Amino acid sequence: MKRLLLWIAGFLFISSFLFAQASKQKTRMATSQVEATGPIAIRGGKLLTITHGVIENGVVVMENGKITAVGAASTAIPRGATVIDATGMTVYPGLIDSETNLGLVEVEADQNSNDLNEPSDEIMPHMHVADAFHSETQRIPVVRVNGITNAIVAPGTQNSLPGQDIFIQLDGKDRDQMIVVPDIALPLNFSAAQRRRAMSGQGGGGGGARFPSTRMGLAAQLRQTLIDAQDYEAKLQSPARPSDSNKPAGGRGGSDRQKRDLKLEALLPYLHGQKPVVIGAEDGYDVENAMRLAREFNLKVVLNHVTHSQDILDEIASWKVPVIVGPIYDFPRADERYDAVYSLPGELYKRGVKIAFASYRVEHNRNLPYAAGYSVAFGLPYEEALKAVTINPAEIWGVADKLGSLDVGKTANVVIANGDPLDVKTDVKQVFIEGRNIPMENRQTRLRDQYGGVPTAR
Amino acid sequence: MSLLSWASRSAISVLALMLPLAAQTASDSQNSASQNPGSTQAPAAQPSSQPADLLIRNGTVLTVTHGVIQNGSVLVHNGKIAQVGTTIPAPAGATVIDATGKYVMPGIIDCHSHLALDGDVNEATSPITPSMNMLDAFVNTDKGLYQALAGGVTSLLLLHGSANMIGGQAVVIKNKFGLSREQMLFPNAPRSIKFASGENPKRVYGSRNQLPSTRMGNFEIQREALQQAKEYMRDWDDYNAKVQKGDKEARAPKRDLKLEALADVLRGKLLVQIHCYRADEFLTEMQMAREFGYHVRAFHHALEAYKVADKIAAEGVAIATWPDWWGFKDEAWDAQPWNAVMSSRHGVRVALKSDSGDVVRRLNQDAGKVIHYGGATEDEALKMITLNPAWIIGVDDRVGSLDVGKDGDITIWDKDPLSSYAKVEKAIIDGEVYFDNSLPGLGLTHWKNAPMSGSDFEGSEMDEELGIGEAH
Repeated sequence: MKRLLLWIAGFLFISSFLFAQASKQKTRMATSQVEATGPIAIRGGKLLTITHGVIENGVVVMENGKITAVGAASTAIPRGATVIDATGMTVYPGLIDSETNLGLVEVEADQNSNDLNEPSDEIMPHMHVADAFHSETQRIPVVRVNGITNAIVAPGTQNSLPGQDIFIQLDGKDRDQMIVVPDIALPLNFSAAQRRRAMSGQGGGGGGARFPSTRMGLAAQLRQTLIDAQDYEAKLQSPARPSDSNKPAGGRGGSDRQKRDLKLEALLPYLHGQKPVVIGAEDGYDVENAMRLAREFNLKVVLNHVTHSQDILDEIASWKVPVIVGPIYDFPRADERYDAVYSLPGELYKRGVKIAFASYRVEHNRNLPYAAGYSVAFGLPYEEALKAVTINPAEIWGVADKLGSLDVGKTANVVIANGDPLDVKTDVKQVFIEGRNIPMENRQTRLRDQYGGVPTAR
Repeated sequence: MSLLSWASRSAISVLALMLPLAAQTASDSQNSASQNPGSTQAPAAQPSSQPADLLIRNGTVLTVTHGVIQNGSVLVHNGKIAQVGTTIPAPAGATVIDATGKYVMPGIIDCHSHLALDGDVNEATSPITPSMNMLDAFVNTDKGLYQALAGGVTSLLLLHGSANMIGGQAVVIKNKFGLSREQMLFPNAPRSIKFASGENPKRVYGSRNQLPSTRMGNFEIQREALQQAKEYMRDWDDYNAKVQKGDKEARAPKRDLKLEALADVLRGKLLVQIHCYRADEFLTEMQMAREFGYHVRAFHHALEAYKVADKIAAEGVAIATWPDWWGFKDEAWDAQPWNAVMSSRHGVRVALKSDSGDVVRRLNQDAGKVIHYGGATEDEALKMITLNPAWIIGVDDRVGSLDVGKDGDITIWDKDPLSSYAKVEKAIIDGEVYFDNSLPGLGLTHWKNAPMSGSDFEGSEMDEELGIGEAH
């Protein structure tokens, strides 16, 4: 009988779910209308403000999607506010992941739901993650219930210039609300992985049939591309040259109209240093090579990985560029000490480098805070680990006026958990994004509940 | 299922319980004749010298079986745990380790690893390869073992991969990194064999347009092989019976290593470790085990165990799973991180395993995660990386808890090992320190500075599926 009831419940659940799916379009308008809520106050918790220390028994007030007050227990709570008692809890700003593939891949082994790499060419700066981002992915609700509210979404790393990243928030009524900044940065990957050696079916040191099959080829191709983009821009800006004078006059001021080249055009903001290029390289020599190229063209740089660059950390520090460090779970080389990579965040911090963490593969995105925590065991001060998943990435990505700390005026991305955000044991109890109380459910919680939930200990 | 068939199946499963016992005596007598391997690995290699007594004192002692002892001590004598308590006087000549402010727990046990096989994980040339023996691929200098030791892992089950329905036989090692191959074998550990079903064998053979390309093919191939083994076993049993009766004319059947290994499965001399993900596959595998009269020791990966946990528990099968890997392939799409605790609370013996050169280095954190997902008690969580994997390997009477009489396999941590923040300070096996974090260089005590082997990429199930690791 009990089983029958479960079946009926399951059926009703599924039908209501299907109905909700079918009527999604219709209800969207209604959703946006009821979005504006009254003030919410969280009180009694331990606040990790990030920018101004820890406040025991503090108060955070959110209204109209923003944080409107942060302070001690005496902080005034507006009339009519919904008050959440967070006694015994820890309250902190939503965590920021500096590289994910969220919304580009559902089941990685299934090509139909995998939009990671565009393999036809290496130079693809005109690919926009924004064009592929699937905001309804089942993965986002799984990740955000662990307190991660914002993330960079980058394409796969098969190409040296694979396309432009987006910066998202992990909730919104549709794609446009979830993409906070489109085309925020351009990855520039420079390592053995981008060579076309494997594709041509040849290994070893001899290179393959397809260019660029070596690092020399990769570097030359990148340099030529950047020069082409500079030339393209120069032509766009210069008046018609004498050799062109016998051509029919263009429509504007008599000058020739340059045919638009979307690929080269995509590079211009990066050549102007308006947006960062994210250099993905692991080995010291690759980091140095890519950096030489970047400095030649005055690119604004964020370094990514540097996992096997232990020998050049002082040099990296001298460049004064931020570093997304990791994954710290990459393997040390044979005969390296077991913690050669675990200790990198601490070593970079010691040298004054601004660091941020990323979780990369979609299967691991919910584990972002634990990489930060584990780095503490290997020399990174705890406060710095916390910053490396909050205010540091906010600064690196140019959104520190809105995100990364519990400060008045910032977007109300706030998390309540039953303990230390960086500890594996901690359970997140509630997440707010733009002040919205996010349902703490997803495909996985529904499966858990459908099969009876977690029985109590015997 | 009709009542009648249920009843007949029950009868078979009762028979199945009795069969291995009956078969044991017969096969023991057969051992000397055919030099069949017994049900365990080789006995201990002679220790070079008797280790000194070791006393660890003033630590927070996590016994796993009888709670936490504050300011606790553990004494190891002749490589075995001799005393666990609060005040233990140091015997003369004992090495004393002061663990004030530290955590002391049993060595971690990984019951699903493909480390130290130099990539020879799958003999993927035929879906039935039970005579493969992972011992033949075991490379004791793999850096992955060092990294695992630095993460507190003192015993591992090195398994065949999942390309085949019936893969090879496993090797059980103690992670005495720096010693010889022989010295690293877990003495007298039971033998295990790897089975697999689902997407991996489907993909491997399906891509060659061979059987099995479907789950139908998967199980039919397995059934066929077991049927052959049953007949092979019957032929040998008939022969042995004739010999015992003094029949001089009796002709020995032709020996077949494949079928001999499978006959050992039917005789209960091999622990059956099955790679599978889906609930329906657990049911099929248990049904087939009943049909042929053997027992499944554990389902590995088992991401959907929560759907049929009561049935798995009723059959006494354990699971070895990850706390939070998910969605890297279709059969991992219904994973949810409460699986471990849900299954455990339904009575399933649950282990957390790595199947990964990465995760093996921090299985302690995976245990912490089941406190997060499902509110496991600390004892429940610790058991999943110590005593329960020890049971799956069949060595729970020897390792997996801090109890008198067990092997002195102990790890000392600077912080709560169930947190994000803990590092191993010392890893001790049979009462000897093999890793000491305070030492300069690698922190190894027995390593002779030979070059380590092992590629920079230790593939795992997830990597295999995505085609970026070695084919496991």
